Amino acid sequence: MSEAYIFDAVRTPRGRGKKSGRLHTVKAVDLLGTALRGLQRRTELDTSILDDVTIGCVTQVGEQGACIGRTAVLEAGYDESVPAVTLNRFCGSGLEAVNGAAAKVASGFCDLVVAGGVESMSRVQMGSDGGAIWDPTMAFEYGTVPQGISADLLATLNAISRKEADSFAARSQLNAAQAQARGAFKKSVEPVYDQNGLLLLDEDEHLRPETTEDSLSQLRPAFQMMGTQFGINALTQKRYPQVERINHIHTAGNSSGIVDGAAAILIGNASAKDTYGLRPRARIRALASVGDEPVLMLSGPVPATQRVLRKAGMQIGDIDLFEVNEAFAAVPLFFAKELGVDLARVNVNGGAIALGHPLGATGAVLLGTVLDELEARDLTTGLVTLCIGGGMGIATIIERV
Amino acid sequence: MMQEQFKVDFDSDSGIATIWMQMNGRANKINPAFGAGFKPAFEAALKHDGLQGIIIASSHKDFCVGADIDFVYETRDPEKLSETIAGFHQNLRRIETCGKPVVAAITGSALGGGYELALACHHRIALDKPSVQIGLPEVNLGLIPGGGGTQRLPRLIGLQPALEVIAQGQIVRANKAVSKGLVNDLAKTNEDVFEKAAHWIKSGPKPKQPWDESTFQFPGGVQPDSAMGRQLFAGGAAMLVKKTNGAFRAPEAAVQAVYEGSHLDFDSALKIEARYFITCVISDQSKDMIRTFWFHKNTVERQSELPTIEDARIKTVGILGAGMMGAGLAFICARRGYQVILKDIGQEALQRGLSHVKTQVETRMRYLSADEKDALLGQISGTLSVDDLSECDLIIEAVFENIDLKHRVIKETEAVIKDDAIFASNTSALPIADLAKASVRPDRFIGLHFFSPVEQMPLLEVIQSKQTSEETLARALDFGRQIKKTSIVVNDGYGFYTTRLFSAYVMEAAQLVAQGYPPILIERAAAAAGMVVPPLKVFDEVTLSLAAHGFEMREHYDGKPLNEPGVRLVRALVDLGRCGKSSGQGFYEYEGKKRVLWPGLADLTESQITETDPHVLLKTCQDRLMLSQALEAIRCLDEGILRSTADGEIGAIFGVGFAPNTGGPFAWCDRRGLGSVVESLDGLAHQYGERYQVPDRLRQMAQNGEQFFPRV
Repeated sequence: MSEAYIFDAVRTPRGRGKKSGRLHTVKAVDLLGTALRGLQRRTELDTSILDDVTIGCVTQVGEQGACIGRTAVLEAGYDESVPAVTLNRFCGSGLEAVNGAAAKVASGFCDLVVAGGVESMSRVQMGSDGGAIWDPTMAFEYGTVPQGISADLLATLNAISRKEADSFAARSQLNAAQAQARGAFKKSVEPVYDQNGLLLLDEDEHLRPETTEDSLSQLRPAFQMMGTQFGINALTQKRYPQVERINHIHTAGNSSGIVDGAAAILIGNASAKDTYGLRPRARIRALASVGDEPVLMLSGPVPATQRVLRKAGMQIGDIDLFEVNEAFAAVPLFFAKELGVDLARVNVNGGAIALGHPLGATGAVLLGTVLDELEARDLTTGLVTLCIGGGMGIATIIERV
Repeated sequence: MMQEQFKVDFDSDSGIATIWMQMNGRANKINPAFGAGFKPAFEAALKHDGLQGIIIASSHKDFCVGADIDFVYETRDPEKLSETIAGFHQNLRRIETCGKPVVAAITGSALGGGYELALACHHRIALDKPSVQIGLPEVNLGLIPGGGGTQRLPRLIGLQPALEVIAQGQIVRANKAVSKGLVNDLAKTNEDVFEKAAHWIKSGPKPKQPWDESTFQFPGGVQPDSAMGRQLFAGGAAMLVKKTNGAFRAPEAAVQAVYEGSHLDFDSALKIEARYFITCVISDQSKDMIRTFWFHKNTVERQSELPTIEDARIKTVGILGAGMMGAGLAFICARRGYQVILKDIGQEALQRGLSHVKTQVETRMRYLSADEKDALLGQISGTLSVDDLSECDLIIEAVFENIDLKHRVIKETEAVIKDDAIFASNTSALPIADLAKASVRPDRFIGLHFFSPVEQMPLLEVIQSKQTSEETLARALDFGRQIKKTSIVVNDGYGFYTTRLFSAYVMEAAQLVAQGYPPILIERAAAAAGMVVPPLKVFDEVTLSLAAHGFEMREHYDGKPLNEPGVRLVRALVDLGRCGKSSGQGFYEYEGKKRVLWPGLADLTESQITETDPHVLLKTCQDRLMLSQALEAIRCLDEGILRSTADGEIGAIFGVGFAPNTGGPFAWCDRRGLGSVVESLDGLAHQYGERYQVPDRLRQMAQNGEQFFPRV
């Protein structure tokens, strides 16, 4: 088996995922096209040598439907010989695209692949793709609930308090603001322009640097009404009869932001490296996906991390920096508690609470973020992990070369 | 020769054919005879020259009361069911696609399959009388509508309203049916129904159902495959689980049939419904529910083994005690035509009682005019003087549960009432024979045990002591019928039947708490089993101090001290002033509308458990809660308190909220297997003593492989 190298990683800035967001007028295909063009330009890639493009995208309806990856390849001016596939592993899609590409090149079935993801949450509403998850039988047989309820359940079961969650969220905002201020994201961000060359956005837009733990404490729990008045909490009783009452700790302020964004990463094997003279920044050491309990849904990063460490033959202490997607504050807090990880090594430049979580793109975004920071700190090993809808988890370990 | 079950009249002037359903027996039912008879009648109607439209009508009192339950109960054959349903569907499809306008003349109740027949018509006109009931009650028997109801109703009135009707098994009166859209029009008299039907046909309506139009959209604005549609189903499923705790499969199947069917064309949707209908029909749960809610209930209500009387001679009812129960009784008696005299010893209590009655009239009888309401209230008079009871034919005492007080009240009342009058005690536990010791006419003394809130609870437990005469019993039963209660008659003994069963339930819960089981798991275990109220919650509601008082009574009647962990726990809670909801603290802590289990319970436990898996613990709690109730029911049968298992099932479910999904404690035992019941009880008896001792007869039955009810 060959190495799977990361040659470069780029992303668009993340725009606020609403009408007033600066990327709202940009079609999803153009967002992804921006990332693909940026990657090509920076690596001076002759795209005709690409074996494949794998793109994560969650809500594949409307303008994000019908294999947006292939349309974006054409939009970005890549060679027409470049195929693309669009995949959906919910919030793990972007990292799944990376992991799949890594597996393809490591096996030698492919030599050079672009992996990435896209989600314009302001333009294509989350959940608008329907799906079997909405079938009432899921409620009757499994008791699955919307993610916010799962997040509150995760907090309740692990005694994670509102204060801890708010404190973590404030930290995410602070870390992100400081990182943005010192230009930590500049290296990988590809600004988005309109067709006349006017700049729309060149840095992440979702941050609220003025946030404090105190200001967060004023926010109303986001999922309490849904949970109690609409009876959703009752669904969790079948699996968790011991929970008398779910503690609704999550708010708009300590949950991930809704944003628009895209990312692209060039991944290839030794043969590609040698043949085309590409300079690797890192290699993918191990990858793993897991299924976990679907009602709790968001605990997946823990078993995914355990599995990826096992595959890599590593210990948790071998990892220098972690990116644990901040879908909800309880997720990284649970992760750190459960695996005994010092929060000082987790999401050091903030996370989705401050920066936003463009569903299908996030995994690829985080991989680029951790790589940039490993380089900035001259560290070696990073681990990216995300919780995933339906009770799954995904993780990837990279190592600088 | 039997008359034809379907008759067709044709009026050549108007061009209207009327199909009269006049099936053998007292009602029209959906059964093989319907299948065989309806089709040729309908085809014959269609053949008339100059046909303008068809009226489907009933020669019986009811329009059509639905499926033949005997057939549904006995079959477990999906293939045969599939064929039968397909035949019924074809008949109904023929009605709506025949090319002529068809109208249902609903001159009497249209329920279940009967209403589904009406749904297949292009128009429905109902007689506006309180006796005319319309709806789809199938889920109450563990079934779902099987004649297209889950598909036609959502397409007629919209997804959400239809889901409510179907998943809750709603039955409504004609006037409510028209406002919900279940029928199109109301008529004042039978003749009006037909006149309106003819008028509708004359207006030249398009003989096509909306769902057969290519442009069909669900009414109400919510389409199934839309964000709102998905949320509707997801929310509906959650609300259902919140209510049923997953213990009732039929409403879930109904939601599922509506969900899946609504995404499809009509004919495919019918196939989906048929699948879920069959799943329900062949399930144990529907068998158990049908046995109890249909067969047992009918048996109990027929009272064929019980004495009857031509004239019960009850016109005026005197009620002693104007609390919630007394005032509630006053209301339901007046409502059914009795004159009522409500007596209390305090002016304030009496006023509270009378204003409770007024509130009941205002909220429950909105359909009455102001004059009618006044007239109803006029039937009730309040008094502080026992002398005013002299005209009463029946006295019901609902005073505090204290034997001395009751004895005093009995004496002073009997002194003034007519010789012929019946004295009834609404005691929930005290033996009637003991109360009757104060009576000079114990043959006219009886127990009438009502349940709170009496306006809603359907059961009346009638207690006949050894001295209660057959005539008194007959008169009391007639009274029970008049006030629309379902009566079971039991023999005398402390706690009768229902109170013993209830006590077994809540005391087992207390026992589990004392033994260290997590209280929340006890509550959840009960809910998951289908119990209507969790035991610790309801224990708090009936107050722990009353229970503690009950321990003393039981010790008195059993002649031995009660000294079990659960009893000690309840006594300890009472000593701590934690007497239940009314004192603001009990098993739970109360703060406004919120209620949280008291964490301090953990300090009152007498033993610890080592098991930590909540699912294992839940299963144990569930088993013990159900076993202890079943055991008590079996003991009541053995001791002759219960006169039949049917009474036992009905009393348990309608009186104390025993899990309706099981069919009752005896059906629960059958379904679990008596061998397994005995084995589990033996295990518990070994561990915890005689509280769980298996009655000989049960052991015998288990050894002989017997059951309480025949297998289906």
